[in-house]
Amino acid sequence: MTDARPPAAVLPGSLDVLILQALRLESRHGLGIARRVEQMTQGAFAVKPGSLFPALYRLERGGLVTSRPGESETRRHARFYTLTAAGRRRLRDDTATWRRLVGALAHALDPSS
Amino acid sequence: MIASRRFVRWLQGLVGELGERLRGRPALGESMAADIDAYLDLLTDEKIAEGLPPAEARRAALVDLGSRSAVRESVRDLQATAVFQALAQDLRYAVRVAARTPGPSAAVVLAMALGIGATAATFSAVDAVLVRPLPYADADRLVVLLHHGTDPVSPANFLDWQRSATSFEAMGAAEYWSPNLRGDGPPEKILALHMTPEALAMLGVPPEIGRLPATGPDGAREIVIADGLWRRRFAADPGVVGRAVQLDADPLVIVGVMPATFHFAPFWATKAEIWGGFDLGPRAASRGGQSLRIFAKLKPGVTLARARAEMTGITATLEAQYPGTNRDLSVTPLKDKVVGDVRATLLVLFGAVACVLLIACANVAHLLLARASTREREFAVRCAIGASRTRVVRQLLTESITLSLAGGAAGVLLAFGGVHVFTALGATSVPRLQTMTLDGRVLIFATALAVLTGLLFGIAPARALARISVSNGLRREDRGSTSARTSRGARRLLIASQVALALVLLVGAGLLLRSFVALRAVDPGFSPDRLASFVVSVSGSAESAPGRRGAFYDELVARVRSMPGVASVAAINHMPLVGDLWSFPYFVEGRPAPRPGEAPTATFRVVSAGYFETMGIGLVSGRTLASTDRDGSPPVIIVNDTLARGAWPGESALGKRLRVPAGPDPRDQVWRTVVGVSRNTVRGDLHDTPEPELFIPLEQNQAYRAEGDIHFEAMTIVVRTTAEPALLVPSIRAVVRGLAPDVPISDVFDMRQVVDQAAAGARFTLVLLGTFAGVALVLAALGIAGVISHDVASRRREIGIRLALGAAPVRVAAQVAGEGLTAALVGLGVGLAAAAALRGAVTSLLFVVTPFDGPTLATVTFALILVAGTACGLPAYRASRISPAEELK
Repeated sequence: MTDARPPAAVLPGSLDVLILQALRLESRHGLGIARRVEQMTQGAFAVKPGSLFPALYRLERGGLVTSRPGESETRRHARFYTLTAAGRRRLRDDTATWRRLVGALAHALDPSS
Repeated sequence: MIASRRFVRWLQGLVGELGERLRGRPALGESMAADIDAYLDLLTDEKIAEGLPPAEARRAALVDLGSRSAVRESVRDLQATAVFQALAQDLRYAVRVAARTPGPSAAVVLAMALGIGATAATFSAVDAVLVRPLPYADADRLVVLLHHGTDPVSPANFLDWQRSATSFEAMGAAEYWSPNLRGDGPPEKILALHMTPEALAMLGVPPEIGRLPATGPDGAREIVIADGLWRRRFAADPGVVGRAVQLDADPLVIVGVMPATFHFAPFWATKAEIWGGFDLGPRAASRGGQSLRIFAKLKPGVTLARARAEMTGITATLEAQYPGTNRDLSVTPLKDKVVGDVRATLLVLFGAVACVLLIACANVAHLLLARASTREREFAVRCAIGASRTRVVRQLLTESITLSLAGGAAGVLLAFGGVHVFTALGATSVPRLQTMTLDGRVLIFATALAVLTGLLFGIAPARALARISVSNGLRREDRGSTSARTSRGARRLLIASQVALALVLLVGAGLLLRSFVALRAVDPGFSPDRLASFVVSVSGSAESAPGRRGAFYDELVARVRSMPGVASVAAINHMPLVGDLWSFPYFVEGRPAPRPGEAPTATFRVVSAGYFETMGIGLVSGRTLASTDRDGSPPVIIVNDTLARGAWPGESALGKRLRVPAGPDPRDQVWRTVVGVSRNTVRGDLHDTPEPELFIPLEQNQAYRAEGDIHFEAMTIVVRTTAEPALLVPSIRAVVRGLAPDVPISDVFDMRQVVDQAAAGARFTLVLLGTFAGVALVLAALGIAGVISHDVASRRREIGIRLALGAAPVRVAAQVAGEGLTAALVGLGVGLAAAAALRGAVTSLLFVVTPFDGPTLATVTFALILVAGTACGLPAYRASRISPAEELK
């Protein structure tokens, strides 16, 4: 990623799936999720706390993630979020949906078409 | 069956969801807030790791995070939205739906308002009178000890009991007292109680200022006064404590002022304003003068039964020792003594109001059911485009709860008015009713009632809709299908239950009306119109000197008689209905002397010549008192009819002789010749059975005329006027003041009002139960008409077809009305059975009338048939006028 432009806000509707993806391999705390999303999108998307926490709240309410208290590498108390089975299923479904969507979008915007 | 099981699952889901919302979300939101703080810490750590100094790192982290509260707000918004979004949507929709059908909605609100308003008002009355404890410390342990549950006790007995009983923490005595308060203005007769120190102390109410009278002989010179008296006579001066005031002839020291909320005793002498210390002194050995009311507090853990058993033993021993002095002692909880008489009344009213509420609920259930069925299509559409059935049911419940809450709110307003009605009607006849208010508990009660009725009666329509099938509901030509109609069973149940409930209430109201009429028809034995009475008390005045009293009464009677507007005047010691009742044993000449305690007793009256004429009391035989019946002339007596018949059955009482050996005057010992037999008059209450009474000439009674103690220092003057008695009262006061400025006038009564007032308790019950019955009747009539009308409305097409095919309109009408009438008749049967089963509840409220009174039952049944007939007939008539052409277009 060599684009010098500042990171954009997450594409509308994509934040949930990005959070779920960030938690696919391991539990993370809030900042860890934000950093992982930045890393995964190679800095293109920045997750602001003002959208991260409501999204986490929604996901937890919906039973897609669970959280428990834990300790960070810097020995801070923080909540760690983990994907639930329902969350994995949702991630699988949404990944397929997004792939189709992005493919269609790319095809539509392809200057050669 | 399947539908109902599915419905139960939905409801479970709904309840679960609500519960989760109530419990889960706020907790999650809180942990989220902590997590936002953790995020800030982690961000700071990150900046430190990047090489920034800690303070700088913190600042940078804060900048990155943005406003912490804004982040928190965004979560909280989400929470609130999630919880309230659906509710707000449901509510908005509920209000819109209600506004779309203003008639039925208003009917629901009105029915609920009447039901809940009446119930809340009655609940507060029951709460104030029956539920709340009396305002004394450990009030549930206070008991009253009286002979036969009503009669006072002699000093020697009290002291014996106090010494020997072990069940009580304390036992004390109170005695009626009505001293004249002098100084600081005109003399005033005050109601008061003499109380032994234990009696005042056991109430556990500390004075507002000062202390209670001391124990021991000093206490007998000390008094505490009521807050009201303190403000009225002493300008609320705190310096009054320690001051001596003149009560009758005695200077007594005010040692304390009781709080405004303090009243004692709660069942008798309720308007007492002075509580004085008490020294039984020389009377301590007396077993004759029964004037004490005994109060006691049970030891903690001692049961009423044990105390009763102990007192039975003690009185049996004393009775053996002093025959005739310790009979039939009752130990009654103080609260029972106070409210025992009105408990049945209030419980009947509460039952009645519950019936009104049930009828209102039946109405509401039907209105909601009817509305739900006309909205079948709407819900079918919503289900078809993806609304979950849970959501639809929730919507319906929100609607019904919204309506019933609106009804509840209107009901609370009604209840506020109801409280005034209750207190105005029952002011004089129901103890403790004045303390009745609509407090928080009543409001909670009303709200809970509203929500509960909303839920309960919203469930029926929701259930009905649970059965709808989307495809059927959507079919346009489905107008007349049976699924859109309330079921036949539900219709019958609604009609029959309303009729049954209304019948029970109407029977109750009818019986009370008949009792009330009977009570009003009671002949008091005297003519109460344009008859005034007032008490003059010479106690402590110059007129009380031995020898002056008789002359004072004579002069007073003469002066009042000469006033314009006065027809005649007389004097009596205790006026019927409003005065005290003293009973003394009497002996009949020529009969063996009765054993102690077994002589018949008679109400003891001392009257001046002209008493019977002034009162308008007729004679059965003989003559009335004449001015020739003087001191020194042959001793005479007049007895009432009951005494004459009891003492000399089958023969004339005239010329017979009797004596009153325990009477206050030594001369009562002499044999008195009966010169007249008067008709019976009422004594204390209109429904009392007549008791023996005897009348001794005032001229021949030295206790009243000359030397009797404080108990004989008051006289009631009765005045027959030619105009409204109230107009004469000021001039009568002026006459008394002119004759003796230090003699106070008290207890001024217009006897017409007193007689009317004596029926006040009956009027209280009658007006309230009558109102409830009227409301029930109107609600039931509207309810029945509503059920039939709705049925007709949902069958217009079918009826149209039948008329088109040649059915006679009369037969259509008969069929429509017949269904309702059959259900109403079933309701009548059930109601009559219920009225028969409940007759025990009202028996104690009735007078003369029996609880299964034929005319009442017949009238009520006939009236209900008429009402149900009209309620069924009108919609049936309209059904027969349906135009087939219109319906089949």
